[in-house]
Amino acid sequence: MTDVDLLSTEAVYELIVQVLWIVTTFFLGMLLLIIINKAWRESREGFSSRRRRELEPGLFKYVMSTEPVGAFLPPGTGERDWPVIEQIFFDLLRVARGNVSARAREAFEGLGIVDHYLVRLESRRWWQRADAAEKLGLMGSEKATQSLIARMSDPMPEVRVRAAQALGGIGTVESLRPLVAALRDSGRWSAIRVAGMLIGAGDDAVDVLLEEFDRLPAHAKISAIDIFGRIKSLRASKLLRQLLVAPEADLRARAAYALGMIGDPTAAGVLSACLHDKEWSVRAMAAKALGRLRESESIPALAETLADPQWWVRSNAAEALKSKGGAGQEALLRTLDSDDPYAAQQSVQMLQESGVLDAFVGMLTSTVAGEQTRALGVMAKLVKLRRIDLLTEVARDHPDRMIRQRLATLLGLPAPSA
Amino acid sequence: MHRILVDTVIFFNDFVLVYFLALNATYLFLFLVSLIEVLKFVKRTFFSDYQHILASDLTWPISILVPAHNEEKSIVETVRSLQMVNYGEFEVVVVNDGSTDRTLKSLIDAFELRRLDKVYRRSIPTKEIRGLYGNLMMPHLIVIDKVKGGKSDALNAGINVARFPLFCSVDADSIIEDNALLRVVKPFMEHPTEMVAVGGIVRIANGCAVHEGRVTDIRLPDNPLPVFQVVEYLRAFLTGRIGWSVMRSLLIISGAFGLYKKSEVIEIGGYDSTSDTEDLELVVRLHENCRRKKKPYRIVFVPDPVCWTEVPTNLRVLIRQRNRWHRGLLQSLWRHKAMLFNPSFGIVGAVAFPYFLFFETLGPFVEILGYLVVTISAIVGIINWEFFFLFFALAVFYGVFLSIAAILLEELSFRRYPGWLDLTKLVVFGVIENFGYRQILSLCKVQAFWQFLTNSRGWGDMERGGFRKRGTAASPAP
Repeated sequence: MTDVDLLSTEAVYELIVQVLWIVTTFFLGMLLLIIINKAWRESREGFSSRRRRELEPGLFKYVMSTEPVGAFLPPGTGERDWPVIEQIFFDLLRVARGNVSARAREAFEGLGIVDHYLVRLESRRWWQRADAAEKLGLMGSEKATQSLIARMSDPMPEVRVRAAQALGGIGTVESLRPLVAALRDSGRWSAIRVAGMLIGAGDDAVDVLLEEFDRLPAHAKISAIDIFGRIKSLRASKLLRQLLVAPEADLRARAAYALGMIGDPTAAGVLSACLHDKEWSVRAMAAKALGRLRESESIPALAETLADPQWWVRSNAAEALKSKGGAGQEALLRTLDSDDPYAAQQSVQMLQESGVLDAFVGMLTSTVAGEQTRALGVMAKLVKLRRIDLLTEVARDHPDRMIRQRLATLLGLPAPSA
Repeated sequence: MHRILVDTVIFFNDFVLVYFLALNATYLFLFLVSLIEVLKFVKRTFFSDYQHILASDLTWPISILVPAHNEEKSIVETVRSLQMVNYGEFEVVVVNDGSTDRTLKSLIDAFELRRLDKVYRRSIPTKEIRGLYGNLMMPHLIVIDKVKGGKSDALNAGINVARFPLFCSVDADSIIEDNALLRVVKPFMEHPTEMVAVGGIVRIANGCAVHEGRVTDIRLPDNPLPVFQVVEYLRAFLTGRIGWSVMRSLLIISGAFGLYKKSEVIEIGGYDSTSDTEDLELVVRLHENCRRKKKPYRIVFVPDPVCWTEVPTNLRVLIRQRNRWHRGLLQSLWRHKAMLFNPSFGIVGAVAFPYFLFFETLGPFVEILGYLVVTISAIVGIINWEFFFLFFALAVFYGVFLSIAAILLEELSFRRYPGWLDLTKLVVFGVIENFGYRQILSLCKVQAFWQFLTNSRGWGDMERGGFRKRGTAASPAP
């Protein structure tokens, strides 16, 4: 050994030994933790499944009876069985409603499980409060309503939104205002969950939303507009029409879309006007909305929109025309002559997707006067536009030799074999 | 001369020791961050959240992109399994990237597809698209047939044709779990404006039973090589990626399963087909773009959406795969070297890039040289044998410690391997991987460095044993 051998000095040697001891201790500790955790979890699962087997028959009898739940539980049933009882009822509630949910609610209240979660709702740990709110919502106990309303001002958004959901689940009318208030939470995730509840409440929710609308922040207004559309309530139609000229493009676009969802055909005029909006997102949503209305007044405006500079607007306009039935398809067919190649190509795609081109292919051998000529005319336009992928395939695979022959000639392909 | 040599060796030994402690302290830090995050994640995960995502009309629709090259054996089953995924609105876009087998024909026959004159926006340049196929009765399935351009080019073609604002890249030979999309989309629901990309965990399907495109029985394989990789994947995903994700500097989202905001990917020109690891390169470029434009953004990893994939069962293929991964890492580090220690790139430039440069890139050199030099030092008497064995014991125990830590995280949270036998096997392999397996991978990375310097490229073929069908015993892969 040399005198400069730093690595073999006592201090380094000691350091390595100590690190080695620490690492080994941690290693053994973790190993022990893995084993204990697994053993404990498995024994808990074993206990739960055994108790479930024992408790389930009694609880099934209980929901069909009018007796209190205590009469159906085996002796020795205690608090440690509550998670199992909860799970049995929650599973039942997934597939059953009506009397079963009323009886489950009575059991939750009778056994003190609701009280247990009401205490937990005040826990210092936010996830315990959130879990309690969620469970109380599933239990549907009106006893929890006031505590849940109080939780709507919890500092944690996750707790607020779960309290709102729970209130929605309990389904009392007084829960609607806290739910609308919960829309103010800025997260889209919160909005989605609250919106689901409000949509479930139907027209009652529309009334509260209409009352509160002007006081809501911008992001909540957008959620409210989406909810109007999904509830499909004509009561919101007037407000939505007013919003079509709002200064914020996002509000205009959402309002247009919501009007389409509601499906009020008298909105066709105002929506057609939106096809000239300066923002492409509003034009795109207006086109999409018009596609949902059962009317034909907007067809000329939609056909014109096929030449819009924005791809999404053209695409939505073409989809809308496709959904308009015969009159819309005629408009698409006329667009095949358009000077605008984009409009023409969109039309080809829509005519294919709606099965119109297949019908024209069938007409190539029609004996009805004029049909064959018309079909040949349409095919010629497709060839001119060079949108011939489908025709080429049909020319190869169609079962009717005559049709294959005609298409081959049109496409300049070799004559098909017999 | 002898004096200089001895001093150099001693200096190197000191360096190895300090380097080793620094590296493992970093791993330990990542583990602790991950442990806290996993426990928090488990607590804040409510099953009802996923029911809301599933039921809501406001959930963002997703385009699932499946690049396929010569996948005739599995592609139909893959598409069928993807069509059954538990999610509201989604479409499956299969990109047949110049297959020379019957991949396209199988799809056409199985789903009665026809050629369509579909209009799409060519936002990213790609190799020529030969045709688009669809079935009017299945509007949510589109097949793109294109000239071969590689996986990146295929994904770019898929992005062009995809209709929805989010796209999910899935390998044609992978299986995603029923609720994986619901789980992976949740961060987008929570932070819709900031979220750019979300990665999910990739787990190893070798040894598992698969029935109708679903993993039905989770077991470890009999072949030891994939078991080593199971331990390695657990370590990489559960301690590495979670830790980096918490620090907002996640650089890797596995190409086998990731969800991206389409507009952000189009903004940077899509996937880069000149990189050997298109997934890593994409994420680095997303960071770079967002940081340059000073946009608030998030790129995160979520540990429970699961994608199952097959891993190499023979050493030759494994070495080739790891070689490519490491080469790709080197390429990305070199291309984006301006980010290194650059404060305008935040923690990505200040911590993640230096970590990947000093530990992931230089680590294999230090490890291999360290083994050699410490051994030689002991032989020639520069260090004593007691110290030599202590040093190796420390190296091995630290490796074991990290593997066991990852297994502990798995047991505390997701518990995908239910049996005691599998758990024991994981622990045992967590120990023995330090005697050979780890060193082979280090050598492979050294080789990759050389290939990077000499500009060698290539993917090589992934030989697959195929998934075990339900009802059959787990058999060793060929």
